[in-house]
Amino acid sequence: MDFKTLLNEKEFVILDGAMGTVLQARGLKTGETPEILNIENPELLTDIHSEYIKAGADIIYANTFGANRYKLEKSGRSVEEIIKAGIKNAKKACDGTNVLTALDIGPIGQLLEPSGTLSFEEAYDIYKEQVLAGSEADLIVFETMTDLYELKAALLAAKENSDKPVICTMTFEENKRTFTGCSVSAMALTLEGLGADAIGINCSLGPKELYPVVEELCRMTKLPVAVKPNAGLPDPVTNAYNITEEEFALLTEKLVPLGVKLFGGCCGTKPSFISAVKNALKGKNFVKTAPLIPSACCTPSKTVVIDRPRIIGERINPTGKKRFKEALLAGDTDYILGQAVEQVKGGADILDVNVGTPGIDEKEMMKRVVKAIQSVSDVPLQLDSTDPNVLEAALRVYNGKPVVNSVNGEEKSLKSVLPLVKKYGAAVVGLCLDENGIPKTAEGRFKIAEKILNRALELGIRREDVYIDCLTLTVSAEQEAAMVTLEALERVKNELGLRTVLGVSNISFGLPDRVKISSNFLTMALTKGLDLPIINPNTESMTAAVAAFNVLKGYDENSMEYIAKYGGEGANSRVPVGETAPKSEISLSYALENGLRSEGKRITAELLKTTDPMAVINDILIPTLDKTGSEFEKGKIFLPQLILTAGAAQSCFEAIKEHYARTGEKTVSKGKIILATVKGDIHDIGKNIVKVLLENYGYEVLDLGKDVPCEKVLECAVKENIRLVGLSALMTTTLASMEETIRLLRENKVNCKIMVGGAVLTPEYAEKIGADFYAKDAKESCDIAKKVFEGIGNV
Amino acid sequence: MRIEYLNRAEAFRYMGAGTDAENKIKGELLKITEECEQALLKTLEPRYVYKVFDIIPAENGINILNTPLTLKGKDVYSHLKGCSRCVFLCVTLSAGVDKLIRAYETEGMEKALVADSLASAATEQACELAEEEIQAAVGKNYHFTWRFSPGYGDFPLDTQVELLKLIDAPKRIGVTVTDSMILIPRKSVTAVIGVSETEIPKGRRGCGSCNMKDSCKYRKNYRHCV
Repeated sequence: MDFKTLLNEKEFVILDGAMGTVLQARGLKTGETPEILNIENPELLTDIHSEYIKAGADIIYANTFGANRYKLEKSGRSVEEIIKAGIKNAKKACDGTNVLTALDIGPIGQLLEPSGTLSFEEAYDIYKEQVLAGSEADLIVFETMTDLYELKAALLAAKENSDKPVICTMTFEENKRTFTGCSVSAMALTLEGLGADAIGINCSLGPKELYPVVEELCRMTKLPVAVKPNAGLPDPVTNAYNITEEEFALLTEKLVPLGVKLFGGCCGTKPSFISAVKNALKGKNFVKTAPLIPSACCTPSKTVVIDRPRIIGERINPTGKKRFKEALLAGDTDYILGQAVEQVKGGADILDVNVGTPGIDEKEMMKRVVKAIQSVSDVPLQLDSTDPNVLEAALRVYNGKPVVNSVNGEEKSLKSVLPLVKKYGAAVVGLCLDENGIPKTAEGRFKIAEKILNRALELGIRREDVYIDCLTLTVSAEQEAAMVTLEALERVKNELGLRTVLGVSNISFGLPDRVKISSNFLTMALTKGLDLPIINPNTESMTAAVAAFNVLKGYDENSMEYIAKYGGEGANSRVPVGETAPKSEISLSYALENGLRSEGKRITAELLKTTDPMAVINDILIPTLDKTGSEFEKGKIFLPQLILTAGAAQSCFEAIKEHYARTGEKTVSKGKIILATVKGDIHDIGKNIVKVLLENYGYEVLDLGKDVPCEKVLECAVKENIRLVGLSALMTTTLASMEETIRLLRENKVNCKIMVGGAVLTPEYAEKIGADFYAKDAKESCDIAKKVFEGIGNV
Repeated sequence: MRIEYLNRAEAFRYMGAGTDAENKIKGELLKITEECEQALLKTLEPRYVYKVFDIIPAENGINILNTPLTLKGKDVYSHLKGCSRCVFLCVTLSAGVDKLIRAYETEGMEKALVADSLASAATEQACELAEEEIQAAVGKNYHFTWRFSPGYGDFPLDTQVELLKLIDAPKRIGVTVTDSMILIPRKSVTAVIGVSETEIPKGRRGCGSCNMKDSCKYRKNYRHCV
């Protein structure tokens, strides 16, 4: 018997119940590692498995839930021996039956980046080790997962290192979200895409509370659904679960009409619960549902269903943007993140991400940018590159279900891109061009769209996941082309039933007042069935065209969204903080002292038309910063006020950088400084504040981030010939890494000064670990830098 | 548990505003504070989990009965003096808050700082609410000590690892701890509360047991924070 046959032959598949609960009832102390018993008391485990088999289980979970490298670290046992023993115990109980043994794998117990410190790649390795150790099992189960990203690492590890079927179940709260904010739809879209064989829900709630969660899951997946509820809810004082076997079975039975195929129990259940469920399901029939899964992409916390026009933000793309290219070359992800956040505020539903520019490692940059954007925003991404290797790297580390931009009708493209789309379960944009270029006729483009669709379907990519771009050409060059594009779009939409996507702005290239042409073309395309306009969401008339279309077409019910965006109160809240002061009358130093960012930037840009940038810096910006710095030292203003000014100054410097990018002048740097939050520490607000201040004073900050290995600081200091290194630590536990980093720099005779800071540091301790300077706050870091680079002042 | 407002004065004290914190919140800073407060109130999802354990004094600390754990150090020993049971507690604002603060960092460090401090104040508020609910659940007839957290005085910070495990915090409320003993989600707290049948002498929460005592700004100026 294998898993597939089991699903086909059985009306319902019965899973086992809790292991921990039963072990505790048999004397396991709270806090002890249950997996050790696989070796120390194998009979006990086989005995429990046998009881579950007797109760009617078709699949039993081996006692391997927590058998990972991290959790077994102090047990003196290896992952391999614990897992092999666990599976052996389960197999022994299955002897002479058709019951299958599952390798059971739970969360690692450490949170993944960006919240935690474990990288996606490390998580993959941890799971790979477990998957390989469990080669004797019949199938693999990942359960009690709350982080979709961790589960993606696990599922990839299973699919790439074994050919066993995989069941994935996650743990939801009553608000239909996991602790990390993952929604049911995101779970279903992502895991089905990645090739899970069954998905479902376990733990945290009883069968009654899980009903609405299961209901939503069954609507969002065609895969077999598994449910393993707890025995109700635990009493907070006694921790006893509150429902009986009979109630459990009765409530479980109510899940049958939703379309659930696999039933079992989690915390608080025991063999008697499983036999009660088995009895309750006797004579019942599996309800086959046929849910319509929509076209959609997602991140864990946000699913964008393409059931009406959705805006794809086009700004994260260096093509034709000098400032963007510079940011990429300098590895300045903050600039890119700024672009991401701004577009989302402007109304983007999805963000296109393209970082291809000569002189950078596009693959590494793509991974970095995707991870960085996902750490601050929950908008789904459209991964955009012409290089399949870059696409694969991005698809791997993306959290959720992305869109791939793009495949086209060329054989080479179809062969290299579509298999990636299938493997990672993405949606894909298909461009209507091939070896012969862009067809002149609508018919030609339609044919290519059809070809792309058929090839996608052959690989098992769903029709709903193919979005076709009929390509916008420049109307000033080829006037008849605009209508060809729209005709092709209409046919693709109506005859192939596909979602359509279009880069809109290209239409107006070469014409004056471009936005008039672009926004009208956008409206025309929307009426022909455009679903995904790729635009700059911060161009008001473009976003407004979409908003208005949604009202007129009836998608925006009662015009609620339109009113929220353009009506009274909403309109006010759209004015960014700092825009309220009278526009023309304020000076740059006033804007700075009051923390008015956009005003500061605007006035700076004005000034640069007539004034030399260095004069703006030396005569206005620096003196104002000095003034607030000294007020801060005297205690007249406090930290957030100091940073407000520094932040406003930052926006002025951004105007200067843009000016330099335009004129081709080089920014003058007073010197390079490394900043890093040391290994093991992830508190980086303090370090980032220091960074803003140092940059304001003209220093180039090489920000190595948080949790930075000692060697990385050394490597960068040597490579960049650094004169000042700033290290930050906020925990007593991470001071050791600070000391180690200093030791390494000294040992390798790096000719640099070292300043340290952070809440738990004292001047005495700084001296003891060999730092040159102790910086009590961000302001003092600037004084130290001045001293080191310019020999000015005392510290 | 519901948090309906945030303790701004407390948050501004964290940022070094001193005693007349509230008077300093004006202009742009007031706007930012209001924006961050609204966003936080929408984002934070306070959760807590606790368990009550029988305890017994041992040679080198306090034994937690029916578990492999001993709480080590003289400070936790004196904290739990006279108690027959203790509550292990973990409180968190959940992961959304971390993401919100990260997003603010891209908009401007002043927002990130204000949001971070407000979130710290909210964590304290959540702890107090959790404490009230726990006291009510355990029983009015008992007496409780204040919250004592790993890292205070000589109570080892790495006690957090076992403490989280014993109350099943990763599974129940999604809180884990890194190798450097940082709790994730970041705005989380672990603590031990003593439970006694008899009245407990009101031990003051002094600086002596605080892990910030060597670098605290308040202490330097001969003041204290509570």
